[in-house]
Amino acid sequence: MVARTLLSRIRPLAARARLFSRTYHSYDHPPPPGPFSSTESSILSASLPHIPSHGFTLTSLSLGAKDAGYIDASTNLFPQGPFALVRYHLMTQRLGLAEKTDSLETAEGAKPMGTGAKVKKLTWERLMGNKEVVHRWQEALALMAQPSNVPTSLKELAALSDEIWFLSGDTSVDTSWYTKRASLSTIYAATELFMTTDKSPDYADTREFLDRRFRDVQIVGGAMGSVGQWVGFTASAGLNVLRSKGVRI
Amino acid sequence: MASRLALRPLLRAAKPQFQATQVHRCFTSTTRRAESPSQSTNHERTTHFGFETVAEAEKEARVAGVFSNVAASYDTMNDFMSLGIHRLWKDHFVRSINPGSSSTIPSSGWTMLDIAGGTGDIAFRLLDHCTDINNSPQSTITISDINPSMLAEGKKRSLQTSYANSPRINWLVANAEHLDTVESNSVDLYTVAFGIRNFTNKEKALREAYRVLKPGGVFACLEFSGVTNPLFDAVYKRWSFGAIPLIGQLVAGDRASYQYLVESIEKFPKQEEFRDMIKDAGFVVPGKGWEDLTGGIAAIHKGIKPVEKA
Repeated sequence: MVARTLLSRIRPLAARARLFSRTYHSYDHPPPPGPFSSTESSILSASLPHIPSHGFTLTSLSLGAKDAGYIDASTNLFPQGPFALVRYHLMTQRLGLAEKTDSLETAEGAKPMGTGAKVKKLTWERLMGNKEVVHRWQEALALMAQPSNVPTSLKELAALSDEIWFLSGDTSVDTSWYTKRASLSTIYAATELFMTTDKSPDYADTREFLDRRFRDVQIVGGAMGSVGQWVGFTASAGLNVLRSKGVRI
Repeated sequence: MASRLALRPLLRAAKPQFQATQVHRCFTSTTRRAESPSQSTNHERTTHFGFETVAEAEKEARVAGVFSNVAASYDTMNDFMSLGIHRLWKDHFVRSINPGSSSTIPSSGWTMLDIAGGTGDIAFRLLDHCTDINNSPQSTITISDINPSMLAEGKKRSLQTSYANSPRINWLVANAEHLDTVESNSVDLYTVAFGIRNFTNKEKALREAYRVLKPGGVFACLEFSGVTNPLFDAVYKRWSFGAIPLIGQLVAGDRASYQYLVESIEKFPKQEEFRDMIKDAGFVVPGKGWEDLTGGIAAIHKGIKPVEKA
């Protein structure tokens, strides 16, 4: 625990000074205020229930504004329009993951879950967070892919995979910190896209798809590790051969 | 000596902060500054009129003078001065507000108030957007200006549009600091484009805007602001202090009014400061509170009147 706290303090290495976000987790400091003010949050949270029927559109935003006691004109509060809805959904779902970590605890005496299993479990929980809006999710993906929104979307994806690894108890401080997050990001983005066309009951196909992706990463990761080991061994052997021949290196 | 004389107008234009001193002008015989009776005593509250300091009571009359002079040539001059870009700004301003949008069909219609909207530039665009984009022919607008001659110009122009004698337009001669005829909590959208700069008491006008807006209503302001890139700023200052008064003299035959125009732009609070003034009036601002246009020559400021929590 202490080690994890210390590690989380070291992580700001990569942090840029931004007002509304930080790229590390802290047990000692409250989280920074989100990008949305309380007024904006009240309208956005009131808009969420309208998304399944009206999608990620200005109409949902207007209806939400009305529910929160505002008027149609108040949607001017969101210069990015419906993308604010997408962002709010992404953010609330990501922050909601922390409450789902209870499901990671195993019964007394049973073998505790490994980090890998926890990551899989949390990734699945996050995907299920899109269940209500998955028939509208392609609209959200289109909004996220708009050039002006791409940086925010990518940042949100990075924050999500970091959140999942952090909640799973990952404490790596080497280059695997990056590879873990990068590979989880690709897996999540691919599975999320797959899910938009999945019609199977309880998203069984998505589940299989996700498992296959995790397996792929393991295989590729294992292969990369083996190749690395072989390269290292050959190099040091070659070096020793040269030294035995009298080359001064 | 001759070269120094020739250079003087250039030097002067490059250092606009020294404009207020008495200097020889090449192209004008304006003696406004010399004869201006603006020696205010300590007892009077003062404000600025361009680079001059005048008594508050006096500014209104002098702004009125400026706009009465330029009303007829207003659009031609705007085109010359901004190289036509002011039309793009105004279009973008209206599009970003998206007036008339509604979640219900048919649209309930917005009640709009365009302050300092004399010539109707913004008002006709707002109505067009309501009608054509958001299918909201119920939306109405009150065009208000303190200056009857600007308003007369707007009325004349409205006859050329589809809103000739339309009940959707109201005309109102009023001071934006005392909108007594406009009820409190009655307006969806309050716009002021290139006008608030000329108000004697901007804080008071903002409070009045807050009063007339419905809870959740939008205050939207298009106004000149500060250029953020120093290099571009230097070019822009040369243009505004060098070329604009000259164009004013050649095209509109009135240098003094356009000298006032560029000085008042220079004096107007920059983005952050004006955003804070909007906040102080009680508004909630979206995001950082403004959007720069053409590198910050102009900026769109917005504020939403928050709903009181019961």
